[in-house]
Amino acid sequence: MKISDLVSDDAAYVSRKAWTDQRVYELEKKGIFAKAWLFLGHESQIKNPGDFVQAYMCETPIILARGEDRKIYASINSCSHRGLPVCRADHGNTKRFLCPYHNWSYRVDGSLVAIPQEKLLTNKPDKSVLGLKAVPRVESWRGMIFGCFDESVQSLDSYLGDMRFYLDAFFERFDNGIEFIGAPHRWTINANWKLPMENQLGDVNHGPFLHSAVIPAEANEEIFSVGWSAVPEPGHGATFRLMPEGTDNAHVAWGMEGMGAILGGAEIQEYLFEIQAKAAERVGNIRSRMKGLTYGVYPNLSFLWSNTSFKVSHPRGPNKVEYWSWAVVPADAPDAIKKILRTNYSSFFGPGGILEQEDSEAWMQQYLGSNIDFADDKPYFYGLGLGEEKPHPDLPGMLSVTANEYYARAFFSRWRSALEAVNDSRELIASSKQVSADDI
Amino acid sequence: MISDIERQYAIEQFYYREASLLDGRQYQQWLSLVSESIRYVMPARVNALVNNRQRGEEAMIAIDNELEGSDGLGCPIREESYAHLFVRVDRAYKMNSWADNPPARTRRIIGNVEVLDHSDESVRVRSNFHLFFARPGSDNFIYSGQRNDQLLMIDGNFKIADREVIMDYANIDVPTLGLIF
Repeated sequence: MKISDLVSDDAAYVSRKAWTDQRVYELEKKGIFAKAWLFLGHESQIKNPGDFVQAYMCETPIILARGEDRKIYASINSCSHRGLPVCRADHGNTKRFLCPYHNWSYRVDGSLVAIPQEKLLTNKPDKSVLGLKAVPRVESWRGMIFGCFDESVQSLDSYLGDMRFYLDAFFERFDNGIEFIGAPHRWTINANWKLPMENQLGDVNHGPFLHSAVIPAEANEEIFSVGWSAVPEPGHGATFRLMPEGTDNAHVAWGMEGMGAILGGAEIQEYLFEIQAKAAERVGNIRSRMKGLTYGVYPNLSFLWSNTSFKVSHPRGPNKVEYWSWAVVPADAPDAIKKILRTNYSSFFGPGGILEQEDSEAWMQQYLGSNIDFADDKPYFYGLGLGEEKPHPDLPGMLSVTANEYYARAFFSRWRSALEAVNDSRELIASSKQVSADDI
Repeated sequence: MISDIERQYAIEQFYYREASLLDGRQYQQWLSLVSESIRYVMPARVNALVNNRQRGEEAMIAIDNELEGSDGLGCPIREESYAHLFVRVDRAYKMNSWADNPPARTRRIIGNVEVLDHSDESVRVRSNFHLFFARPGSDNFIYSGQRNDQLLMIDGNFKIADREVIMDYANIDVPTLGLIF
């Protein structure tokens, strides 16, 4: 089997093996997770020197911290001596991380402070080269911090490209930006990491069907009639409703649809109206009429605008993902408003969310379906709306109706190229060895 | 006035009845045990940084250090009202609630029922649960946790007015924390 057999040239077909094969997964690590900008966290989580949070880059544990010099550092959470994690808390503020095994200690920026054993030795080790391994590239955009293992990667700005136009439609609504509140909710799902990503990248097409027990028919009608799927760059995506000119605030304001706004009373409604009243001035007419749905940033970051949460799909092998999600609120909102807004996320999404449980179930079942025998000659059909996407006069990228699967074809074309770019990867030798259902 | 033993007995019977309704998938009847002003909260549970200054004290490893509840500015897993619970109950009887089609088989064991505080109108009760959860097409799971309840006595019957569910997870590897605990 060749890499090119995993995704057809027009990306209208994607092999089941793309979801299950251990060798494909190893290539994903080399071709994607070693090369792409990966989301680490938000600056609001590490405001003060000594603040840290844990993160992951694929399966590699990362400490994201604000150093004594107020700069942001990302280091691999593994002691230079014997490899144990030196940071054991999810988040906090500290002067030192201490390895439990022999008590080597590190500053939050990853530099090595002390080796307790050295006072008994004549030749002192050079501590300046024994710090934690630093993530070589760390950059932020609008407070969102990304890291990359490839020193020669393009700047984060250009990597995000026109995706920034769509992200700003939300971020720029607020005078003082957004913040993440609380520790991430993190849970494991027996699924391949790409499906949660695909789900948020542009697949609002599943909403009216998988979630029809909860999402009201009117909401789906609105998505059918004014919903758009935008692909600013292959691998990134944004879906939203573009409400007609003159739509009243109650039908366009972000947050108004959530349980928080419905149950939260006058205070929250007034707050949301105030934000919407300033939206045109802050983000321009067309973006002020956007009522966002789901966003995706290649390879594994999602932003769910409608329920204001960030999510990262961290792979744990081809058959498991550790899904992380955070509630996002305007940074300068009063505490009482933040508490109401966070429920717009947690009531529907996260490990206890009423919609999320249907998604996790679908993703798990998709893995099982991908891992069966005797069906490898039946790749998945990704051809809905093939060729029907086109440019738009006012919106960057390629645009289409939400039923068009161009967002996924673009993702898988980029995915295939990334795997093909790995040295000696073009031949993927077919073998009967698969991850068996017993392994999950 | 009822005795402590009578009160304890009545509360335990109430919890057994509640567990029986939930395991029997009689969620609409369960909803009738709930006050319409209920606050239903499940704090998130984190791996907290140990505070050096508390070493040697019980406070150093207190469970509260690990909880992000509804009072703080963290993000609890669930913060729900009667309306949320109503939606969950309503969903259970729809054809397209796919994660429960076919429905999971559950068995709850409620124990360690401790009355913390009581008046004529209200009791505060702590209890523990183990919940066996067998999901068709998936696997079997055990949920373990604690409930801190406020029960109101209304017309001679208990109603659940406040429930905080503390789950005993380190990593969440169950299909959903959206069940009624």
